[in-house]
Amino acid sequence: MTPLVVIATLLCGAIGAVIRYLVTKALPVVPGHLPRGVLIVNVVGSLVGGLTLGLAERAAVSPEWQFVILSGVCAGLTTFSTWTVETIELAEGGRWRAAVLNIAVTLALGFAVTLGAYLSVR
Amino acid sequence: MPRDLAAVFVGGLIGTALRLSIDAALPHSGGQFPWSTLIINVLGALVLGLLVGMLWKRPGLPHWVRAGLGAGVLGSFTTFSAVMVSVVGMGAADAVGPASVYLVASLVLGLAAAFAGLRLGSTLAHLMMPGEIQEGDTL
Repeated sequence: MTPLVVIATLLCGAIGAVIRYLVTKALPVVPGHLPRGVLIVNVVGSLVGGLTLGLAERAAVSPEWQFVILSGVCAGLTTFSTWTVETIELAEGGRWRAAVLNIAVTLALGFAVTLGAYLSVR
Repeated sequence: MPRDLAAVFVGGLIGTALRLSIDAALPHSGGQFPWSTLIINVLGALVLGLLVGMLWKRPGLPHWVRAGLGAGVLGSFTTFSAVMVSVVGMGAADAVGPASVYLVASLVLGLAAAFAGLRLGSTLAHLMMPGEIQEGDTL
């Protein structure tokens, strides 16, 4: 792993974080809705990850670009900590149905788009 | 807002660097069990829970601190896409069993860590500054 690849990955991770922050600010958590901001970035990041995994399988993406996209762009854009903490906060606020839905919808959409993207381009 | 964005950017650099360090210490290829990501996500959920429970409701906490630590450092330290990519990658490498174990472990341990972090954080907040927090405050 060259220093340039590491620097590019760090920058993409930071830019991904800023985009995630802007999306969650634009779609704040409100009663009656799932935390849509985090849901959207997690699904979009998983989609890009699935595409990259599929393209990598037929060597259409170099290992360096794979690293930058998967560990920088996708990992920076998506988040696991906010997803789990917001889910627990929903449950602790008595909104059990929303908490369960937040897990189910995120997992179902995340898995479907990752698998679909992977299978369609590999 | 510009200060918040700068804090998220710098936090994102730090969180990504921490994640890359753990990934480098515990490397895994596409079809292998991603121990590093599991550790990163569970640890990140615990620490974010702690911060939310302990610090977020502290009166006068500057907004950029919250943005930089939460959305920046912990947001980019942890990753959802890597979980999905590993599950699909392991499945494609015929490791469906380990992929299922990994997914369930990430979910159960991640939620437990977030819960423990929130509880511990609010207990610590009460110990450190009793009286400043109203009973019944929501997180």
